[in-house]
Formats: sequence, structure tokens, C-alpha cells
Amino acid sequence: MTHTAHRSGELESLQNDFVFLMMSAKGFNDKEATPKFKKFLEIAKECEAISVVDASKGHEKLQGSFEKMLENVHDRSVVHAVFDQREKVVEMLELLKKEGLGLSVVISGLLDTVHECCQEVGLKRHTVLLSSGIWGKTEKLPAKEVLDLHTMCGHGMVSAGLIEDIVEKVKEGLYSPEEGAEKLYEPCTCGIFNTSRAVEIIKKLSEA
Amino acid sequence: MYINEETCTACGECIPYCTVAAISLNEETAEIDYDECVECSICVRLNICPTNSITRDNLVWPRTVRNAMSDVLAMHKITGLGGRGTEEMKTNDVTGRYKEGFVGVAIEFGRPALGARFYDIEKITKASTEFGVEFEGDNPISALMSNKVTGEFPEELLNEKILTGIVEFIIEEKHLNDYLEVLKTVSQKIDSVFSLGLMVKCDDYGRIPDSISELDVDFYLNGKTCVGLGRKNKEAK
Repeated sequence: MTHTAHRSGELESLQNDFVFLMMSAKGFNDKEATPKFKKFLEIAKECEAISVVDASKGHEKLQGSFEKMLENVHDRSVVHAVFDQREKVVEMLELLKKEGLGLSVVISGLLDTVHECCQEVGLKRHTVLLSSGIWGKTEKLPAKEVLDLHTMCGHGMVSAGLIEDIVEKVKEGLYSPEEGAEKLYEPCTCGIFNTSRAVEIIKKLSEA
Repeated sequence: MYINEETCTACGECIPYCTVAAISLNEETAEIDYDECVECSICVRLNICPTNSITRDNLVWPRTVRNAMSDVLAMHKITGLGGRGTEEMKTNDVTGRYKEGFVGVAIEFGRPALGARFYDIEKITKASTEFGVEFEGDNPISALMSNKVTGEFPEELLNEKILTGIVEFIIEEKHLNDYLEVLKTVSQKIDSVFSLGLMVKCDDYGRIPDSISELDVDFYLNGKTCVGLGRKNKEAK
């Protein structure tokens, strides 16, 4: 369940990459959590998150519509919202604090930036997960830029092969970078793949 | 996963989608390398095949483990969650699982891009037991161990390949540097990769303990932050 950790990339690129998660704790606050998840998803939409998802059932395309996603939410849902702007992170945090849903909220992103965002809305970070990157036979890994896209789906559903295929098609003019990013989003069942950031990486790769 | 050779037109559309590059074309049809396939189901879920020639197999133990650990929407009986591990640090503001002076360790095997086999996972779990660690109980990888004290898995599981799986435990902060040294050594003996996450509770001012930044490992600038909005229900213990 560390699927939003370990997102690799350059500092400039990571400045536009934030993933909210909210979940209940088994045995502590999972009873009657359903309306709280619905509220989170509605707030995220209001804050113009670029992806709003209940990861337990899959992203909007897999569920059919946002309304169906709301219908399918349950007490053990794990909901996400992806943002590509710092100010939206602050806005979302403020609304979540005001709403007082009482479920755990985690933000993946640049640690110092998220720390500042918390301070701006009067929150004190509680726990952090630090990534020490990749260990082992790293020589078997795909190219760095491919990994920057691949690691945006922590479950590994966006394959290196698909990334290379899409970049080739963008090079050939068959897809725009935006269309390419949408294609890469589809296998990311949890919907945490940041299409906005992906567009910029695809542009770089296809121009290389 | 299984490709129906009678209906497959060898168009190759499915090939790039495979998370472990297990699909290839022979002269007349696409075929799946059964030993490499991790049963993640993505080739079926996305309806990529124009002739619906890819279907799920009826899996039997130990191959069932591949699907349970690789298919994002597969629900684990142990945790009641999709995914490959536990709630880890995400609900620490409610559960208090990670306390000051202790560090949560999450070793995510196969990630990124390569997948992992249990014989490699076992090399690390066995080495970890030298530090007397107790593997997280509510975790699918721990549940698969045949011996949680020695970190061993059942023999029939060792060659099974999964997309990712997380080994989780808590270690005293004072032992962490020594543990990381062992991890560095053993990581050279595996045929895949893992991503390492360390989970720490912040101090009363929201700061990360100095002892963590002084460790002899590099950290990404990004990570995950539990912002402290969670609370227990009144009826919870």
C-alpha cells in the first residue's frame, strides 16, 4: 500500500505532482465511513483535482462515471485526488480540515512543500514515509525518463513497454502528448497517474 | 492469463500493455510466457484485444498468489484491502502503529518495473530476522511465510513471480543503520529490485527526527505525509 511513494523525477517535474489519499483505519474508524469518502470525492472535484478516484473500485472510466463511483463507495474505500498545483493542495487541505471528516489523510509529494502547505492551514504533519529509492539489480531497469512515468502508477500497471510505444506514436504524430498521457492513465486502475506531469515528460522524450 | 490461439489474429495490440513483457508474437499468434506472467489481469481489464482472445485462467495454488499480489483490484482476505501491504503509515495518526524511537520499514519487492520471485524476497526476509524483527501480521507477504521467525516461505512458492509485494516490520531506530548495511549486502544477491520506504513519526513540531537524516542512505525529496486529520471513532478501543 505504498503505491504513491517512490515517484521518481526531477525537482522541477515533482513540483507539480501531489496525490491525496484518504482511508479509514481497520477497527478504529471504518464504521460508517462511506459518507466521508463521498464528501472527500466531492471536495476534490470542487478543487479541480486532475483525477478523483476510489482506488478500491478503479478510476472513473472503469466505473462508468463519477456518479457511479459515488454510488460504489464503501466503508473500506481508499480515495485519491491528484493535483498539479501547490495552491490547489492548500485549498483542498483547508476544506478537509474545515469538514473534519476524521479519517486519515496522506499527501504524496515534495516533503518540504507538503510540510509548508500543512503549516499554512494550521496542520502539523504526523508521520512521514521517506523513500530511499531503488535497491538491487538496477541495471535491469528501463531508462530513467521511462521510470519517471512508470512510477506514477506505483502498482506498476503502466508498463515500460506501453510508455515506449506511446512515445514512439507521439514521435510519429499519431498521438499528441496529451492523448499519449491519457492512454498511459488508463491502466493505472487507482487513477493516481498524473497526466499533467506526464504530458511534459512525454514531450521531452518524444523530442529527444 | 491465456490466449486463445484459434481466435488470436496476432495483431500485437496486447504486447506493450503487459506489465512484465511476457507477451510476444510467434508466427501465427500472440503467446504468453506462462512462467513470466504475473496474472495482473491488465490485458483483460482494458479490453485491448479486438477479438477477446485473452481470458483469465482458473488458477490453483500456488499460482493464485500471482494474481493476489499483482492484480490491483484483487482483494486480500487478510487486510480487507486491495494492494500489497497494510495501512502502514497512512493511518498512524489513528492507530499509533509507529511510535517515536521506532521506524517502520517497507521493502517493496519487484518495484519498479521488474516484478520479483519469492526466492529473492526470502533472501531479504531471512537476513532481516537477524535483527529479531517481527513481520507485520496484517500483511499478505507475512501471511504467506511458512515460518515468521526465520522469514522462510513454503518451498512451492519460491519460484512464483509477483508484480510487487511489501515486506513490512518495525525496527528500533538505534538498530537501523546496522540493518541498512545488511540490506545493502543482500540487495547485491538478488536478481530483481526493491524500493525502500522508511516510516517515522514526526516530533511535536512536525519535524522529522535528526537521526533519520543522519542515516547512511540517500532519500528522495518527495515522499508521503500523514497530515494528522484522523481520529478514532468513539466506540473504538
